[in-house]
Amino acid sequence: MSEQRPVLQARVSIDLGLLHLAVELESATGAVAVVGPSGAGKTTFLRILAGLEAKARGRVSVGGETWMDSDEGAWVEPWDRGVGWVPQDTLLFPHLSVRENLAYGCPTGAGDPQREEALEGLAELVQARHLLDRRPAVLSGGERQRVAIARALLSRPRLLLMDEPFSALDRPLRDELARRIRAYLDREGVPVVLVSHEEADADALGCREFHLVAGRLTP
Amino acid sequence: MFQTFSLLLLLGLAPGADVVASRTQFQEELRVWAAASLGPVLGELRTPWEEATGASLVLNLDASSRISVQVAEGAPADVLLTADRAWMDWAVARGVADASGALRLAGNQLVLVAPAAIGSVESAPRDRIPDLSTFLSGQDPSLRIGIAGEEVPAGRYARESLQALGLTAELGGALVTGGNVRTVLEWVARGELPLGFVYRSDAFGDPRVRVVAEVPDSLHTPVEIWGAPVIRGDSPSLAAEFLDFLMGVEGQAALRVAGFVPRTGLASRASAGGFPVHAAAGVSVWSAILISIQVALVATVLAMIPAVGLGWLLARRPFPGKTLVSALLLAPLVIPPVVTGFLLLSLLGRGSPLGQVLEAAGVTVPFSFLAAVTAAAVVGFPLFVITVRNAFEAVDSRLEEMSWTLGARPRRTFWRVSLPLALPGIGAGAVLAFARALGEFGATVVLAGNVEGETRTIALAVYTLLESPGESAAIWWLVGASVAISLLALAGFEYLSRRQRHLVRRNPDV
Repeated sequence: MSEQRPVLQARVSIDLGLLHLAVELESATGAVAVVGPSGAGKTTFLRILAGLEAKARGRVSVGGETWMDSDEGAWVEPWDRGVGWVPQDTLLFPHLSVRENLAYGCPTGAGDPQREEALEGLAELVQARHLLDRRPAVLSGGERQRVAIARALLSRPRLLLMDEPFSALDRPLRDELARRIRAYLDREGVPVVLVSHEEADADALGCREFHLVAGRLTP
Repeated sequence: MFQTFSLLLLLGLAPGADVVASRTQFQEELRVWAAASLGPVLGELRTPWEEATGASLVLNLDASSRISVQVAEGAPADVLLTADRAWMDWAVARGVADASGALRLAGNQLVLVAPAAIGSVESAPRDRIPDLSTFLSGQDPSLRIGIAGEEVPAGRYARESLQALGLTAELGGALVTGGNVRTVLEWVARGELPLGFVYRSDAFGDPRVRVVAEVPDSLHTPVEIWGAPVIRGDSPSLAAEFLDFLMGVEGQAALRVAGFVPRTGLASRASAGGFPVHAAAGVSVWSAILISIQVALVATVLAMIPAVGLGWLLARRPFPGKTLVSALLLAPLVIPPVVTGFLLLSLLGRGSPLGQVLEAAGVTVPFSFLAAVTAAAVVGFPLFVITVRNAFEAVDSRLEEMSWTLGARPRRTFWRVSLPLALPGIGAGAVLAFARALGEFGATVVLAGNVEGETRTIALAVYTLLESPGESAAIWWLVGASVAISLLALAGFEYLSRRQRHLVRRNPDV
């Protein structure tokens, strides 16, 4: 059974001067939460998985596909990996409307009814339908986070990377959103790596927790 | 022997150390503001004069029109030497030259020269040099002719001659105006221009040119070299002594050798005198404004793609030699524009390999509209690149990374994220480059000359008008236009810069 094969396998290290990160992680279920204090290297770990840290060494494989293997010189460019990245400060494109932000990573072309349907559906899922024609600059912090999550999901990712995705949301909305996203990920079979310093988020998304302290991972 | 020489050198007495010597040895100095054509002969006379009097000679050489105006405005001169009677009369009328001490020192003759090396113009045997009208009748009327400015004596004599021959209309468009007669000589000597009006004395001393036509004295006001003490000068007695020296045997001999007509050879007729009737300087205010805007616009458009490309590279890509490239790009910002113009002329002129390639392709850059555009583009380019670079650097590079993770390759990311986010900054750079191009003078005057209706921009028009009294209304129009356009451009820059900052403001922390 494919269950036996780990969905996510990473053994990576990076030396960034102040931070020396060495992480070994394997997940059969594909739902992982990395928790720990700030400055421990959680965000850097996500960036390595996304292919944004050229100095990283080691090996990353997702769903049986090798994205990086510094010993064998294997490297998949970030635009070919298909990660859905939800950074902590959302990084919405400021010159595009919410709708254009959501559509940015859509594999299908504009005007495709399927895409419109998916777009509206995910906007609904994160409760952001009423925001579609606004610019990111006028959104609140929580609204931005919801749009960022929807944008990542719309790109049909092979791995979802979420970095403190609910930090600006209040507790009831947070739980509701986590529940909806968990259901979506289960249905679509998308593995996820969540970075948070709140264990409650990890529980709500059904993630197995790992603690990252000063560049080292402990289960 | 060697030791003696070293000692002399140490004492600043050896040949070759005379600059040092002249600084330390002389108690007095005489400051002479002289017509540019007198430069070589005054250089020859410097040593005998200094040896005879023990006073050092400080020379300021430029067109008579410019030095006269400078003296009138209080330049610290002791002696004024002009290449015509008119400017001396003007200086006397302004109360700055001492009429009682004014002397007619020598005469000169106007000639047309061509580069000695380049056979673009038919050569004549040395003893049968044709006169101007004979020569010109056999020439292509589109050949460019260097000529000194409208208010510069050499320029005025030449224009009078063309007028007398009825050729003003025919040749007007072919004339390239230089700041003074030595500039014209240099252009022809370097082969940048096929023909130029200079004095016989200029042609005499320069083997790089040859006389192709003589301009008969009957066509123009006689060329007279005048000298007078400056009324508020520091050393009136020394000034009188210097003029006597020029009138004396040694001075006159040197003038004759240098190609001037000595005093004894001059017709003794009294000059008409009086304040000269200044012909309109031929400066069209509207043409200058239009040319300025055209030059600046074309220069900005041409610089756009390289500036955006280089600005992006500098902001986003490490590459070997980046520091060097960056420094070289900024160089035109700090190199004197005149030097930039000279380097461009050396690079693009007829004598250069690149200039020859261009010429073979039918493109002659120097002294054309294209030259003005080139000078403006080069001088404005650093500001353009810096602004574009800053704009790209202000874009959060993680937005570009976000675009990658969403499947957009770097090229697509550039067009969809980097470029739109840097667009106001690129616009600001364009406006700044435009404004700088509008204000360009130094490189333009060297590379493009001062061709009415072609390269005479606002700055050059003002420069031309500064030496023609009675044109202040035109100057003020040009000054007003220049200031207005510049301020408008800077307001645009400010607006676009603010837009840029607003656009790339980092998301507030969540």
